[in-house]
Amino acid sequence: MKKVFRFFRSMTFGMILLIIVMLLSLAGSLIPQQDSTMRYVRAYGTQTAQIMTAAGVTDIFHTWYFYALEILLCLNLTLCSIVRFPKTRRAGREWLARAEAAEADRPLTAEQREKLLAWLTARHYRAREDADGKTFSRNTAGFYGSFLTHLSILLILLFGSLVLMTPSVQDLTVMPGGTLTLEDGTTVTCESFHIQDDTGKLDYASVLLAGSADGRHQKRQEIRVNEPLRFGEYKIYQQTYGTAGRVGITNHTNGAEEILFLTDPCFLSIDGQNGVYFDALYPGFIQDAEGNYTLMTSTSGSYEHPVYAVRSIADGMSTSVLAFPDEEIRLGDISFTFLAPAEYPGLRIKRVSSWLFGGLYFSFGLMVAALYLCFFAVPVYVRVRENGCAVLSPKNQQGLLLELEALMHEKEDET
Amino acid sequence: MNLLFFAALIGYFAAAVLQFAGSSMKKEGLRKTARVLLAVSFGLHTAFSVWRGIEARRVPLANQFEFASGFAWATVIIGFVLYRRLKQEWVMTAAMPMAFLILSYAAFQPMEIKDIMPALRSTWFVLHIGSAAFSYAAFAIAGGLGVSYLAQLKKGRSEDDVKMKQMDYMGYRLICLGFLLLTVVIFSGAIWAEQAWSSWWSWDPKETWALITWIFYAVYLHQRMRLKWQGRRMAWLAIIALILVIFTFAGVNLLLPGLHSYAV
Repeated sequence: MKKVFRFFRSMTFGMILLIIVMLLSLAGSLIPQQDSTMRYVRAYGTQTAQIMTAAGVTDIFHTWYFYALEILLCLNLTLCSIVRFPKTRRAGREWLARAEAAEADRPLTAEQREKLLAWLTARHYRAREDADGKTFSRNTAGFYGSFLTHLSILLILLFGSLVLMTPSVQDLTVMPGGTLTLEDGTTVTCESFHIQDDTGKLDYASVLLAGSADGRHQKRQEIRVNEPLRFGEYKIYQQTYGTAGRVGITNHTNGAEEILFLTDPCFLSIDGQNGVYFDALYPGFIQDAEGNYTLMTSTSGSYEHPVYAVRSIADGMSTSVLAFPDEEIRLGDISFTFLAPAEYPGLRIKRVSSWLFGGLYFSFGLMVAALYLCFFAVPVYVRVRENGCAVLSPKNQQGLLLELEALMHEKEDET
Repeated sequence: MNLLFFAALIGYFAAAVLQFAGSSMKKEGLRKTARVLLAVSFGLHTAFSVWRGIEARRVPLANQFEFASGFAWATVIIGFVLYRRLKQEWVMTAAMPMAFLILSYAAFQPMEIKDIMPALRSTWFVLHIGSAAFSYAAFAIAGGLGVSYLAQLKKGRSEDDVKMKQMDYMGYRLICLGFLLLTVVIFSGAIWAEQAWSSWWSWDPKETWALITWIFYAVYLHQRMRLKWQGRRMAWLAIIALILVIFTFAGVNLLLPGLHSYAV
């Protein structure tokens, strides 16, 4: 049992896990993930595609064995951190005692000794004096570097998984002027939306007004990519956009008027028989010399010359027509006026605890600081006695030794 | 103004050749000329980057050309800082060819200045991409030192030689620096991705390869710190890791489309 425990907390086991994660990630990056089955069949053949799907390599990062690896890595880091912590706490005192007891292994002349003392003081080494000499120490916080690094990885895995798994995410569209009501009563009104800024540069931005269910809190913000709106536990992103047709319908009998947005094909009718069937909205067209139209199917910006493809249906007769903005189709007492299209945003509304994000970002910061302690704050002790000095450190101190050597050479050159 | 770029490229090439010749023939004069030439070329390279930044009205790190140019620039800076600190020729012998090779790669990329896409307009841009340039530069010099180390071994130099130990140690320190910066790259990228795309991690090929590289260097560091691996094995690992870095930097953009495809 002890052996198993020792293996689970060992660096060897940690390394094995990391290498497996690395290899699986490599496979996951080379094999297209979460694609349709047909694409795998076409690319690899039926049998191979079946084996790949069964083994989970088509969605490797969500397989049970990938999660198991993460859990084992957490276990390894936890055990290794628990076991290491008391040792880490004692390390400072133990190394100081070891340094104070250390015999000088580098002989120094009186002049060299003075120079070394000055050099250590100039580099802000902490000094402790006793009857036999002085002990200088630096970067003792570095003893915690490795422990904190492992702890931060553990926290990142924990908070990262929670942040990825817990949020409720909804992708919704809202027309300018429209309001969305979320599950807890929070409202999101889209006041305006544009896909190009004043200079014509692409800039997908919506002005949103979010309000709490009780109406006590409100927040207005222009959102765009990189600038989501935070409101309570909600985060609202400018995710995508679309262009909808608009038609004004007037009933001349009673004077009723209404404006409708057209996103999907639909039949606009009062009696269910006569009316206008909306097929599609095109961003532009080219008209040749003979007056024939070629319709454009895509554009990256606003629709410059929009055109509606519609069918007018009356008395069982269907006539296909192209309707341009401000053009009217009148069928009996009903008139349909096609208006300039409206651009609308697609919003991603995410609800997640800000505590989890706080925890994740804290772990990121902790890890960067811990790695700095690990690499650049290496604890070092220099014991200076009457006859010489000794350098002690739990890690390789080749850099310091090289510097000291250079200091010695400097002295030789000077003498 | 592109003339400045090509002048810098030729300057880096000439400096690398002179440095190599100076090191092989042990002629300090040649090496000194190489350093002066590198400094002048670096000045031209800096002037080109500043001009491009002014022209584009942003930090010039937004596409493959600009990033490669920044990567080469960071390599020269790290090379100079190390040389100034250590006064060891082998630093320059490793850094100069790396700077030239990276800038040569940039020369083959489309150079026209384009508008930055909306997703890149973020306060995280400079931290994320700037750290990547310096991280890759540190790894590149470490890989270059690995090559120099193996070449010296082949020439018959002992692993116990002081210079070899220094080279080995400096390679390790550069990897520590690169690893810390790569961690910053991954974290700043995660925070940025959450702001832009609503998810801090999406297993996008660039993210995945950054993680693969990070894990490889983590293994390197553990082998070094705990198992006390040194010398030849570490030199080989630094070279293999550099291949991963190069794939993450260039290969992913060319071969594996994903959320970072705009970086082409």
